[in-house]
Amino acid sequence: MADLRKDNNVKEVHYKLTLCDGPTCIHNQSKQLHQVLDAEIKNRGVQNVSIHLSGCLGMCKKGPILIVNPGYTMYGNVKAADIPEIVQSHLVEGKPVARLTIIEDHLYNRFFRIFGDVDFFGKQMRITLRNCGIIDPENIDDYLSVRGYEALAKVLTNMKPQDVIAEVKKSGLRGRGGAGFPTGLKWEFTAKAVNGDKYVICNADEGDPGAFMDRGTIEGDPHTVLEGMIIGGYAIGAKKGIVYIRAEYPLAIKRLEKAMDAARQCGFLGKNILGTDFSFDIEIRLGAGAFVCGEETALIHSIEGSRGMPRPRPPFPAVSGLFGKPTLINNVETWANIPVVILDGGDWFSSIGTETSKGTKVFALAGKVRNTGMVEVPMGTTLREIVYDIGGGIPNGKKLKAIQTGGPSGGCLPEQYLDTQIDYESLAKAGSIMGSGGMIVIDEDSCMVGLAKFFIEFTQDESCGKCTPCREGTKRMLEILTRITRGEGRPGDIEKLERLGGMIKKSSLCGLGQSAPNPVLSTIKNFRAEYEEHIHQKKCRAGQCAAMLSYTIGERCVGCGACKRVCPAGAIEGARKEKHVIDAAKCIRCGQCFDVCKFNAVSKA
Amino acid sequence: MAEQITIYINNKEYKVDPGQTIMQAADKLGFHIPRLCYHPKLSIEGACRVCIVEVEGARNYVASCAYPVANGMKIHTNSQELRQARRDIIELILDNHPLDCHVCERDGNCELQRLASSMGIRARHFQGERKVYDKDLSSEAVIRDPEKCILCGRCVRMCSEIQQVHNLTQAHRGFDTVVMPAYDMPMGESVCTACGQCINVCPTAAFLEKNYTQDLFQKLNDPNLIKVVQFAPSVRAAIGEAFGIEPGRNMEGELIAALRKLGFNYVFDTQFSADLTIMEEGSEFLERVQNNGKLPMITSCSSAWMKCLEQFYPDLIENVSTCKSPMSMQGALTKSYFAQKIGVDPKKILSVAAMCCTAKKYEAAREELLVDGMRGVDIVVTTREISWMIKSAGIDLLHIQPEEPDHPLGESSGAGAIFGVTGGVMEAAIRTAYELYTGQTLIDIELESIRGLKGIKEGKIDLDGKEIRVAVAHGLGNACKLLDTVRKDPERYHFIEIMGCPGGCIGGGGQPYAQANSIPLDEGALMKRAQALYDLDRGKTIRRSHDNPDVQKLYKEFLHSPLSKVSHKYLHTHYKAKLPKGIIPKNG
Amino acid sequence: MVTPKDILRKKRAEAVNRIISKGYLSTKRVYVGMATCEIAAGSRDVMEVFRQAIANGLVDVYLSQKGCAGRCNLEPTVEVVEEGKIPVKYGRVTPERAREIVERHLKKGQVIAEWLI
Repeated sequence: MADLRKDNNVKEVHYKLTLCDGPTCIHNQSKQLHQVLDAEIKNRGVQNVSIHLSGCLGMCKKGPILIVNPGYTMYGNVKAADIPEIVQSHLVEGKPVARLTIIEDHLYNRFFRIFGDVDFFGKQMRITLRNCGIIDPENIDDYLSVRGYEALAKVLTNMKPQDVIAEVKKSGLRGRGGAGFPTGLKWEFTAKAVNGDKYVICNADEGDPGAFMDRGTIEGDPHTVLEGMIIGGYAIGAKKGIVYIRAEYPLAIKRLEKAMDAARQCGFLGKNILGTDFSFDIEIRLGAGAFVCGEETALIHSIEGSRGMPRPRPPFPAVSGLFGKPTLINNVETWANIPVVILDGGDWFSSIGTETSKGTKVFALAGKVRNTGMVEVPMGTTLREIVYDIGGGIPNGKKLKAIQTGGPSGGCLPEQYLDTQIDYESLAKAGSIMGSGGMIVIDEDSCMVGLAKFFIEFTQDESCGKCTPCREGTKRMLEILTRITRGEGRPGDIEKLERLGGMIKKSSLCGLGQSAPNPVLSTIKNFRAEYEEHIHQKKCRAGQCAAMLSYTIGERCVGCGACKRVCPAGAIEGARKEKHVIDAAKCIRCGQCFDVCKFNAVSKA
Repeated sequence: MAEQITIYINNKEYKVDPGQTIMQAADKLGFHIPRLCYHPKLSIEGACRVCIVEVEGARNYVASCAYPVANGMKIHTNSQELRQARRDIIELILDNHPLDCHVCERDGNCELQRLASSMGIRARHFQGERKVYDKDLSSEAVIRDPEKCILCGRCVRMCSEIQQVHNLTQAHRGFDTVVMPAYDMPMGESVCTACGQCINVCPTAAFLEKNYTQDLFQKLNDPNLIKVVQFAPSVRAAIGEAFGIEPGRNMEGELIAALRKLGFNYVFDTQFSADLTIMEEGSEFLERVQNNGKLPMITSCSSAWMKCLEQFYPDLIENVSTCKSPMSMQGALTKSYFAQKIGVDPKKILSVAAMCCTAKKYEAAREELLVDGMRGVDIVVTTREISWMIKSAGIDLLHIQPEEPDHPLGESSGAGAIFGVTGGVMEAAIRTAYELYTGQTLIDIELESIRGLKGIKEGKIDLDGKEIRVAVAHGLGNACKLLDTVRKDPERYHFIEIMGCPGGCIGGGGQPYAQANSIPLDEGALMKRAQALYDLDRGKTIRRSHDNPDVQKLYKEFLHSPLSKVSHKYLHTHYKAKLPKGIIPKNG
Repeated sequence: MVTPKDILRKKRAEAVNRIISKGYLSTKRVYVGMATCEIAAGSRDVMEVFRQAIANGLVDVYLSQKGCAGRCNLEPTVEVVEEGKIPVKYGRVTPERAREIVERHLKKGQVIAEWLI
């Protein structure tokens, strides 16, 4: 694919220059380089060129990095003095400057070769998703052709289990399921535990509403997850792995099964993997879609055939997990990172991201944002970059109100937190969590009380019912929120929500309960005024709480009768060609008159 | 012994043993951390969150029942914020609980009520929707009332861990969570063995026995009926607790007097037919030994155990003695031998049994036990019910003049008394069988190897050079373990005693609720009840069943000999496999 | 001694050969997004259009599927990689658009700029 512009007409080519804007490259003067490049291009009057800044490209040692597409020519250690030559030779004459090019064969590099020319992908860095949308997930040959199972072969050829664990520790990789526990440590604990058999589990019970990162990863690149698990099995001394995946993901299950069959046929899975003494096989277990089964102890109960309910820890699964045996549970995204950590090394991996959070994180970007979808960014990327640079900003000229991260367990961050960096600690400090990677952009049309109610409704419904604070407490929180949104809020309700929320957070048995109040507490913290308006003035500024709306017909009314005809409550009176009137007592606030009026005569407030 | 570690509770330093939970350590140091779902005999649930404590450095409160102590750990059990959280949790439980304490059967001995009171909950903050369920009245013995349930999960754990019946489980999610038998089957059709242990461990009134006290009061006032009552050994050893006295006092004489005051015309003692059971069962055992019959022979006194056998071990039905339980033997004789003796129509006799057991309610209704189409026992009441009746009738049990039981079904030996304790039936049987077999008197009649609360006990007896290996199990879970051994190794034992409840009948599902300072099925309390029966045995001059003069008279006048035709008609029965919906027979 | 790495190297070579034998070296390669999200957006029908076109004599085109690249709001997506040209990606491809892509892009070499992502 590197020879794409063999006999291309130069005029047709629109060059896209990608300049690495990662922290190390910035340190190495990439900002100045940008200015020089810009000036040089303008100076020489080169047309059809655009300059893009990307997030860290992971080649920090050779930075600053400049990539020229099409053709994916990569220049490393670029100095300001090199710019005129690059512009003249490459952009004007079409001859890449061979002396400055570098070849870095990181796994994820291929991604830029294909997508580097799309804005959406510019600031992304794809490690987990490196093959997603590129290879045929149902063909192991495709995976093999992109260095698939090479990490496994490397591990089995010249790494001892403790070497593998050391490499994972060195990478600084942390659990991507939400809590962010250091993966290497988890592996080490499980490796050290001695009690007969051991198990490796892949947690693919993705339950957050609107999250689909795990599904996307498995459907797009099932082998990378398998490869990660096999390496994990080797590292801790397990012979058996289990993928716990929700039954609602039939295609992911099918692709996983197909991948497992193919891997077995090739000798990557099963007895004597790649001709060694190491044997490991994987089995799929289907979850019935209970949110709580994403919690590791509940997940283990579910696999064991019991009701999916969490149990107190310690003991942790690393010591006593599935069937009482040491068990290593990691999330899909964590597993998918493992082959990269092994192939490119822990040192390389830990060069990406922030001080405490290494590598990348996949997010399901949704809500009021132009580009919705699955994005993967290096840790340390700001929320602003995700929403505006990748997501393309808020559509319809609306104002951003908040960003909700971490799904139903997460919090809502208002605009002033837009420059918060994505990493475990920064998000927690801001009052939200990383979670498994849901990210919902909220604009001014959304009611924050309603949003909090939506999430608590979800967690209340999904609570397993075992511990009191979660089972009973979230129910009472939901009742209070419901009455607030119905315009029946009472003074003291906010304080009650805070009191209950704080207690539930600190007292619940598992992560579900401990995080369930987050959406409520964070919206109270950041949008308290909205709660107060609901309670004291019976007003919903977003116009979403139907009970608090009142519809009136203004002077623009021409008396066409359209509203009168659609009103299901018979609340609208008025003679033909005369101004109509809504009887507030009869009005059920369904909003149909508002929608049907062609003259914008109906107003709601 | 590992070296002691240092922990700090409420800023004071203590040395404790490692490897225990915070709660265990605190208990020994005199801190009683409030608790609800915790029970020392059951696995750690960590569900109620009442026992939370603050551990410095931990992000959240931890459940002290589950969290192990560590060196240097700084624990706070009573900070202001923690107290409020704990109170809020109990309030939340109350908010989803019927507010009918004063008409609730558990009023006065409800753990939730005590907890709420001791936490000082005087106001309510979060009331809202409350769960609404119908009571499940389908079982003869056990009522399930999900409205009262606070989802501590003790019954579920008791049913599956100690009893291994696995009938109860949580179903549905979140606020809709409810404890029910599999597939929401009515208790009466489920695999419930009616052992009543769920009632024993329930902190509230979510499980209760089916109450027959009103029915009984009405019948006691019927002048046309001859009212006859029998009472089980363990009732006398425990009923005092319902009147606030320490466990372990034998209330036999007081109870007899109280029963007469309640209006019973005849008060008999189930210990009499315990002796009779030994005659029949002991003879049956010897017959099996001598004629190569099916061994090991297994006792059949415990009605919960019989249902368990029929459901889960139908392949072992032939091993079980054909003897009815003492209660049913007594009932059958009341309506035959006794009716003839006093010359009345048995239909005019009201036969009542005061039992430590809930399953006996189920047993009394079994069709297999009918004689000439008649039930031997018409009404079964538990120790709790009879104590309510005594209180309700204004009888002062504690200061009443003790009385003696009536003849001909009231006299008993010490062997009959120890039926109420695990191992007692075996001990009693050996006392008699030894003599029947060898013709000699057994000198050392107290068999220590099969006494005590160990789950499965084994012993050996030398019968004239023939070694008889016996085993004793109490609690259905231990029974299942023992029977699994039998399935694998049928030659291992000759004679097995099984009691469905922990500790035997003394820990029955119908016994008084735990006292305020105690926990249900506390081993200390069980041992005291057991001791009361052992003392009763020791205090008797007749300690062997076959020496009971009333029993001897009964054989002479009515039954002729053990295992005779008459015996079989009145005292023996048969069992058959019962496979309720959803149960797949084990071992095919 | 044969190491796992040696075994893998051999397997990869075989895999690459198999891909090539399926026509990977054709002048044009078409990738249709076939994840759950894409399928929900209608990519099965789109795939069918390309399949039919090849069955009906469209030559020198390698057709394959791929997982989700993350552009949810623009699905179904179809990527066309053409020898010597910038790879392009079409968004919101309907069967009608797919037929146009076959006619104009794959047969005549005209990139349909307005449908590109």
